[in-house]
Amino acid sequence: MAKKVLNVEDDADIRTFVSTIVEEIGHIPILAKDGEEGMQKVRGERPDLIILDILMPKESGIKMYHQLKSDPSLRDIPVVMLSGVSKRTFLRSQVALTEFGDETVPEPEAYLEKPVEPEDLSEMLNKILS
Amino acid sequence: MTITTMLFVSEFDELWFDALQSLLGLRKAGLNHVVFLHVIHREKVAMRRGTGYLKQEERKLREIADIRFIDWAETLFEEGMEVGAHIAIGNVVPKILSVAETEHVDLIVTARLKKGKLGELFAGSETSDLLRRAVKPVLIYNYASLSGKVGENPFEKLVLALDWSVSSEKVLDYVLALKGSVKRVEIIHVLNEKDIGKLSKMETHKLERENKKRLDEVCDVFAKERFDARPHLYIGNTAEQIERGAAEHRATMVVVGTRKSSVWKEKWSGSVSHALAERSELPLLVIPADA
Repeated sequence: MAKKVLNVEDDADIRTFVSTIVEEIGHIPILAKDGEEGMQKVRGERPDLIILDILMPKESGIKMYHQLKSDPSLRDIPVVMLSGVSKRTFLRSQVALTEFGDETVPEPEAYLEKPVEPEDLSEMLNKILS
Repeated sequence: MTITTMLFVSEFDELWFDALQSLLGLRKAGLNHVVFLHVIHREKVAMRRGTGYLKQEERKLREIADIRFIDWAETLFEEGMEVGAHIAIGNVVPKILSVAETEHVDLIVTARLKKGKLGELFAGSETSDLLRRAVKPVLIYNYASLSGKVGENPFEKLVLALDWSVSSEKVLDYVLALKGSVKRVEIIHVLNEKDIGKLSKMETHKLERENKKRLDEVCDVFAKERFDARPHLYIGNTAEQIERGAAEHRATMVVVGTRKSSVWKEKWSGSVSHALAERSELPLLVIPADA
């Protein structure tokens, strides 16, 4: 059965790349240009998986990820990070947010650093969505 | 009036990460969100005869900006800050104003913006254009400080130039909200030498006494908030005397208000904030009357 995959990404070329792969493996892509729009789509569409960039206008993927994992009703949605920002920085940023008073959150299902090969992305998505 | 979100406009060859780092002292005043903006000038990728729109060049320039911003953002993310980035193509001032509005920024930071010589002759500099149109405070960041190198915290020792207008009140409110980031404030008022020339000696002394009293009152307001503030009265050309005051007191930044006036009035009669923006060696914070 086709599942909904939300891609939150400010780069139009990468949105096209990701949505093409999502469609090719038989799922439904939903697109958002930044973290703010991403959170609206999460609440409105309730996706089965989120592919999340980090450095974006309005709201970063760091903040959006923390919001998702701090909300009991959204915490279980799997998240794949797809970004030029290193995994080390991502993990440190989540620790820093904890130091600033937020609660500790779990690590994402997968962390892919850009650029990603189409086969690697589709394999990762198939594994999580199966 | 607090600074929680800052827009940092960089062309990369004029404003670097060390400038941003020097502004992180503002975290004590509430800064927790930095938005990066790089504007690719339209003429760099515009249509050319025989080649059309330079899509490949645009892609390259975007990639260069993206790599720089990711590098800068990683440092800030690791410190628990929120970071955003915009890479746009077009004219720099409209893009700055548009991003400042959509991101609800409290402060715009930029280097002095340059236009072609012909453009400056007819329309003034990009910096003047930005100061005229911005409804948010603008920090014109200059590297050449009085000590010859960029200060570690430009907000440490401020020169506040007040002309007792509505914009001066805005300046006071803004600086008072920066408590924690500012160590010392030198409050300056400049009496115009042309006006003084028309007065008798007695009238001049009276004017001096009145202004000194007002300066003392402002210092009292700062003292109540535990700022180290001192009053200074100067006579002469306003922009020149503000610069002199900044040099005498080894200031790290000059803060002025700005009033709304037409392009032509500014061009021909001049404006203190615009004059300082064009030539000040120190970082200059300009706070608009309608901020």
